[in-house]
Amino acid sequence: MTTKKSTGLKPLIQVDRQRGAPGSGADDLAETRIATVLGLKQFMQGPIRTLLIKGLAGTGKTTVALEILKAAGKGKGAYISSRVAKELLEKHIPAMKNTLQSQEFLDIRLEDATSALDFVMQLTEPKKIRTIVFDSWDGLAKELEQKERLRAEKTLMALANNSGAQLIFVSEEPGATTIDYLVDGILEMVTVEEQDRAVREFIIHKLRGTKIPQHKYLFTLLEGKFTFFGPYAIPDYSKVSKFIQKPDIDGSYSFGSGALDRLFGGIIPGSTLAIEYDENVPYPALRAIELPPIINFLSMGRSAILLPLPGANDERTNSILTKALDERIVGDRLRILNVVRTSDLETTNLLKNVTPNQIHEIVTRETTRLREKSKDQSVLLVKSVSALENLFASDLDSLLEVTSQEIITLAQSHDAHILFLPKDSPIRSRILSMSSSYAKLFVRDGTVLMYGVKPHTGIYALQHLEDPTSPSLTQLV
Amino acid sequence: MSVTSRAEDFATTFANAVHGGLDKVLGQSGAAAVLSHMKMANNLPDPAEFHKKLLALFGLQATVSLERAIVKDLVTRLRWALDLLNLEGDFDFSATMRRIERGVKR
Repeated sequence: MTTKKSTGLKPLIQVDRQRGAPGSGADDLAETRIATVLGLKQFMQGPIRTLLIKGLAGTGKTTVALEILKAAGKGKGAYISSRVAKELLEKHIPAMKNTLQSQEFLDIRLEDATSALDFVMQLTEPKKIRTIVFDSWDGLAKELEQKERLRAEKTLMALANNSGAQLIFVSEEPGATTIDYLVDGILEMVTVEEQDRAVREFIIHKLRGTKIPQHKYLFTLLEGKFTFFGPYAIPDYSKVSKFIQKPDIDGSYSFGSGALDRLFGGIIPGSTLAIEYDENVPYPALRAIELPPIINFLSMGRSAILLPLPGANDERTNSILTKALDERIVGDRLRILNVVRTSDLETTNLLKNVTPNQIHEIVTRETTRLREKSKDQSVLLVKSVSALENLFASDLDSLLEVTSQEIITLAQSHDAHILFLPKDSPIRSRILSMSSSYAKLFVRDGTVLMYGVKPHTGIYALQHLEDPTSPSLTQLV
Repeated sequence: MSVTSRAEDFATTFANAVHGGLDKVLGQSGAAAVLSHMKMANNLPDPAEFHKKLLALFGLQATVSLERAIVKDLVTRLRWALDLLNLEGDFDFSATMRRIERGVKR
């Protein structure tokens, strides 16, 4: 393959222009959407008759309300707008145009509370409408005195209770108002800053009679649709199927994962990618970054060396790899070198006195051996810094020296190098300064998030929606 | 006072009581919306028909609460003692209204 002089990953912007939103393949998104709708139905079943969706402007309240309206079924929902005309709303949220067109839309911008309540009566009395969205209720309610407002709200509750319709109130009032005490459920939509990136979160304050396994969830409005993320689910490795190789991308090695390739644009030969992770990131999430490049390297006729994370189960890794690839390929061109396993260090005496240099020598020897077997002499080295840090806690300078030498050697031979680095590593900043690319993984609200620091990328939720060995990345926007 | 003028007085008092009773529970906008929805904003509602319409909108429990509020308002306007009427237990709006109307006309 052709090689490039520069190191580092391809800039994200290129991917953006060519393929649309990175990491948001249509299939990935479709799967997430199904989960979302199911999730919303779950929220809205049973005793939840009235729901308040609150939050500041631009936090996604209307989109969520429209998703719930959509779940009501065609012709069984009504949208009462006191803020925006239908045509404008369709322009603001084009993904919901069909929903708006298939449901009743009442424009009450110039109506008073009496007319609005009359509209609700007209909708609820025939008992055909299942969901009514009031966007926004406080736009009208602010014109009423406190006591009058409370009574009007009680009227709405009584109408909803009798008709069986679900009443969704959208509100921009951040504090608790009278309606907070009356409704069965309260969702608050917020936008928080996470590592200089905006992340959307919804908080379930109340959901009467419904088990709430988690109070906060992250969500995205990618493509104008509401998609929320449940806590990270460990993939079912029994469903690993034979891997279909992913060819090089314009002279770069593929990550072996469409989502990672879309995010980073492939691995430029000779580059070092550092993956920083915090202590809450589950190992299978790291494995989703660790294994696809290894599998693809082997599948492409190349070789790979893995120095696994502490606590990694080599048998499990082997079992996954041999499901994805021919057993002979794995046995022939992959070396798993466990630095805490004495047999891997060739002599039982070595472990007590082993030095970073000795480990480096073993890695160099293995690299040379495997290079011979690689179709184009290139080798992928995937290495856990944490495992080495633990082993050489009293001699971190030597470890850094050896790592630096390795980075230079691998760059010269156009190999690929991926380092897994814990967030609290004492040598973190020095490793990062030597790396050509740098991505971070962390957990928020149970969801594993990933973003590129170098190059700068958006922030993505990591899930396993298709292949258990590979990540599905959905951008948080 | 003649029987006719007593009947007219009762009709006005009853209409006012309907507004007053509904206001107290539903608020002014709620009451106005209910009466407008029932097309009874300006007409004296027939208690039986009124009951049926309330029932369709609010269901039994809320309807009984609203009707009790109307009866209480009416009795207050007539300066009657509330304990003359049975507002607890099996409450029948139409029957109660008939009793009050008969009492006014006597």
